[in-house]
Amino acid sequence: MASILLYASLLLAVLLPIPVLFGDFTAYQIGLYLIYGIAAQGIGFLWGKTGVLPLGQAIFFGVSAYAGAMSLRIADGLALQLAAAAGIVLLLSAAAFVLAFLIFRGRSESGPYFSLITLALAMIAEQIAGAATEFTGGFNGFSGFASLGGLDPFGNLYYIIAAAATGMSLLLFAINRLPANLIARAVADNEPRLQLLGFPTHTVKGLAFAFSAASAALAGILFASHQGIVTPTSTGFALSAELVILTAIGGRFHVLGPLIGAIVVGWASAELRFNFPYWELLMAAAFIVVVLKAPGGIAELLEKSIQRISPDLPIEESDRTGAPMPKGRRIVGSLEFENVHLMVGVVRILNGVSFATPDTGIISIIGPNGAGKTSALNAITGHLRLSSGTIRLVGDRVNSRPPWKALESGIGRKLQVPSVFNSLSIAENIAISMLADRASWADYLRTDAFNWRSEELSRVLNRQGVPLKNSNEKQAGKLPQGHRQFLEFALAIASKPSLLLLDEPCAGLSPEETALMTSLVREFQENSGSLVIVIEHDMSIVEATSDKVLVLNHGEAIAFDSYEAVRNDPEVVAVYAGGTK
Amino acid sequence: MSFALILNLVWHVGTLALIALGLAIVFGKLRILNMAHGEFVMIGAYSPVITSSMGLPGWLQLPVCLLTVGLVALAVERTVVCRLYGRMFDSLLATWGISILLREAVELIFGRGYQSVSLPIPGTVQIFGTSYPAYRIAIIGCIALGFAILAWWNSRSMVATRIKAMVENPGLAQAVGINTGRLSAWAFVFGCCTAGLAGLALAPTIRVEPMMGLDYLIKSFFALVVGGLGTLEGLGLGAGIIAGTQSLVGAALNQTYGYLAVLSLSILFLWLKPDGIHSALR
Repeated sequence: MASILLYASLLLAVLLPIPVLFGDFTAYQIGLYLIYGIAAQGIGFLWGKTGVLPLGQAIFFGVSAYAGAMSLRIADGLALQLAAAAGIVLLLSAAAFVLAFLIFRGRSESGPYFSLITLALAMIAEQIAGAATEFTGGFNGFSGFASLGGLDPFGNLYYIIAAAATGMSLLLFAINRLPANLIARAVADNEPRLQLLGFPTHTVKGLAFAFSAASAALAGILFASHQGIVTPTSTGFALSAELVILTAIGGRFHVLGPLIGAIVVGWASAELRFNFPYWELLMAAAFIVVVLKAPGGIAELLEKSIQRISPDLPIEESDRTGAPMPKGRRIVGSLEFENVHLMVGVVRILNGVSFATPDTGIISIIGPNGAGKTSALNAITGHLRLSSGTIRLVGDRVNSRPPWKALESGIGRKLQVPSVFNSLSIAENIAISMLADRASWADYLRTDAFNWRSEELSRVLNRQGVPLKNSNEKQAGKLPQGHRQFLEFALAIASKPSLLLLDEPCAGLSPEETALMTSLVREFQENSGSLVIVIEHDMSIVEATSDKVLVLNHGEAIAFDSYEAVRNDPEVVAVYAGGTK
Repeated sequence: MSFALILNLVWHVGTLALIALGLAIVFGKLRILNMAHGEFVMIGAYSPVITSSMGLPGWLQLPVCLLTVGLVALAVERTVVCRLYGRMFDSLLATWGISILLREAVELIFGRGYQSVSLPIPGTVQIFGTSYPAYRIAIIGCIALGFAILAWWNSRSMVATRIKAMVENPGLAQAVGINTGRLSAWAFVFGCCTAGLAGLALAPTIRVEPMMGLDYLIKSFFALVVGGLGTLEGLGLGAGIIAGTQSLVGAALNQTYGYLAVLSLSILFLWLKPDGIHSALR
């Protein structure tokens, strides 16, 4: 908290004396840069954290400026004007949420589509603003309204803008410390993993986009009062482009980066635009260099040591507190495949697989490469849609639902290639797994959730030999592959799934680590009483752990029995001895 | 009257398909989201302006176009894009910077105003009782021929496979003897040149100005969204649906509504059929 106030008072100490020191006109110019900076801070939040790049932020900026200007013409009295402004910001951010929610639903990446749609929207908004002359004044602009509260744009309005910029920065610094921020960063890092931890990532991205839209709308409201006129360019493509460039050059990973970018670029532009014809070329070139060489922008160069303000996670294990119970269903019971067919393109992957597991225990799936083992798990978690058939868990159909719903039904999963949040620290990885399926809306806005620890997770982390303790601050991506296996296992069991799917958990482990991993799996099963399904190639592990073994070959279940029975099954022997079926 | 409308539709679909073809190669095969694609259309459209300002005869427009667009594309690929393979989001940003750079450069050279380009083939021809500009008929014929040759060549050549191999695994592709640097540069230049050619073809029928590229980028991108990546039929379908929607709605109401219709269609496709119409039909 102290460092947030320090930043805020520093920012105020820089911004407040400007009118006195440099005169009202300079303050007026800085005010405009700050307005762009506020909109850019929203872009920095969305793009720097979730990795979603908005190319049409001027829609919110411009529409809000028009709407704000209209409300200023109609509404008398500060209270009414502020209420109108708040309404505009809320409406625009709600619209932004719906747009992002619809486009990102059913996807596990951000892709370029969203960016292009926002770009197209900005182009349309500009056209409409130019064409709808009776509402917007067309290309002559919309003017003839007083500024907010009747403040002088060359005088006191500057202090309102400076306060808004400081307030926005304070808010962003505060968000940086919250679990919500961690989830936003996890989206950019590893969206499929976040979905397997039960997070509807399209909602996360929708909320982040709504926040960025709100900041652009706030900037737009201030812009209308500041300029006294709104033209179609303030809702168009060129401004959208400029806002992104400010964000990139200033630094999208730091709260103050976009503000710095807006002031630096704005000031340089005012100095150079009229006596240096290549100014725009220079800007574009600077942008390309930043993208290629310095993605952190000016802020990162200024502050190499504090690259991203990460939340202060407590390290002491003794400080841990109990976590709330998982919200989803945790009923242990049988997993049933009923005549499951799965085709991807023209390739038949599963060809009428039927089986029903016991209610509890460890089931191994074995079979040659390409038998459909991982695809069977992908079908359970909804990564692949079935062509026909049904998968039931404790009687309820679970197939063909989005992957983020799997954990709700109690399904936890570890992927074949260890999938963790590489750019986040181990502590942050673990914090996300504790939020999974437990946190309520309010918990994302409280730092308490960082202290949560479940019994299952503690047992793994405190176990002798598990290579995760005492390296909390280490970046997960820097762990060797074997250690990442343990981390992903910890993430998968933290929310106490009633069905745990493990895809080759021992791949890349040393013999000692393999023994540790198998005993962790067995202990988890014994303590939780849940059903565990393991894909494994090493027959000694299969023999040591499995209650039953399912053998897949060419997309068909050819045997499902105890290890002994399966080993003596002539069909299985034929598959493994290289005979043809 | 209505037949002229159909011919207009064919004209829009054909030119859009040509632009989208280049984007499909660069985005679909090289995985570079080239935001400067529209600027290559723009440079192609400026090539008659270049030709006439240098006092060259009109028939040199085509070589001037290919040379200008090709050289700019090669320079862009060698300096910036070659660093971006496998970094799709960075490719979007960096090529966006390039698009601004190219627009500003053209603006510095030729000014911001509209350039008008005269029709190389004047007059109209009578088709089924409708008179239609001869120039457009000639271009439609050329585009159709070009796509036919491309489809024939695509079915016989290994280039598409080699590009795919290169993008999937550059190291392995090099190991099996594919010169990845040259292949990617050629693919990028080829993709930009189809955009340039479309720009040259469009130039006499539109207002040529530095900002014109953006519109074509968006439309060709949406054509790929709707048609899906990977097949020539999908490309044709996508271009048909996008250009068709825009010109029909545009003709019935106005251009802004045409644009809105295209945009809503694209959002619907992204939302409901993210792999495009072609995969939906299969």
